[in-house]
Amino acid sequence: MDYYETEEDSALTTFNVEEAKEIIRSAVEGVVGGNVYQHSRVKQWNSSVIEQCLSQLNKLGKPFKYIVNCIIMQKTGAGLQTACACFWDNSTDGCCAVKWENESMHCIVNVFGMAI
Amino acid sequence: MEETDTYHIRPNHQDKFKPAVVKECVREIVRERLSGLRYDPEEVPELSRSLADCIKDKVKSAGFDRYKLVVQVVIGEQRGQGVTMSSRCFWDADTDSYAEDVFMNDSLFCRVSVFGSYYY
Repeated sequence: MDYYETEEDSALTTFNVEEAKEIIRSAVEGVVGGNVYQHSRVKQWNSSVIEQCLSQLNKLGKPFKYIVNCIIMQKTGAGLQTACACFWDNSTDGCCAVKWENESMHCIVNVFGMAI
Repeated sequence: MEETDTYHIRPNHQDKFKPAVVKECVREIVRERLSGLRYDPEEVPELSRSLADCIKDKVKSAGFDRYKLVVQVVIGEQRGQGVTMSSRCFWDADTDSYAEDVFMNDSLFCRVSVFGSYYY
């Protein structure tokens, strides 16, 4: 008979923000790293960051649906503001945002996790 | 006969997340709030938050039963810089969907995306 411990259970069904942040950070650093903003390559970076985040999140094997959003912006001193509003179950679902920058660009990644 | 429990596995057709309807909600609110506005770093944080909240409430009242909603608002200043944005989702393509709308004027751009994920 299957036996589930309640503590493990809740760890499995709640969104772990720290874990997600770590995944995002390593994805962004691995893909963008010390590169300089290049218009022709940004699309490619963008999709590989998302791809890596999603595949790492999936490897956690949690019953979650994920939304990953990535913004890469050239640094020119222009402002950028993001905000999100969610309607969901606060006890299981969560989101996290990571801001990352180097000399030539900003990179903002948002991950939303929704328990199934 | 004993009554049996029923479970919703799929949304009814009329409750399904309809991107066109949501897009119309978003467009209406964004046009109303942002047209003629200039980018002001002091006001934008508050503006983007209230915009996101307002859109969430509006979409909620449009009645997508049992849907979890995520509204994301990005407001940026137009200074000729390059910006790339993309999203990708890991979900049930049958039930879940998204809508997005972009607004631009001389001073700022605003992109709103609304994701709807069905709660089984």
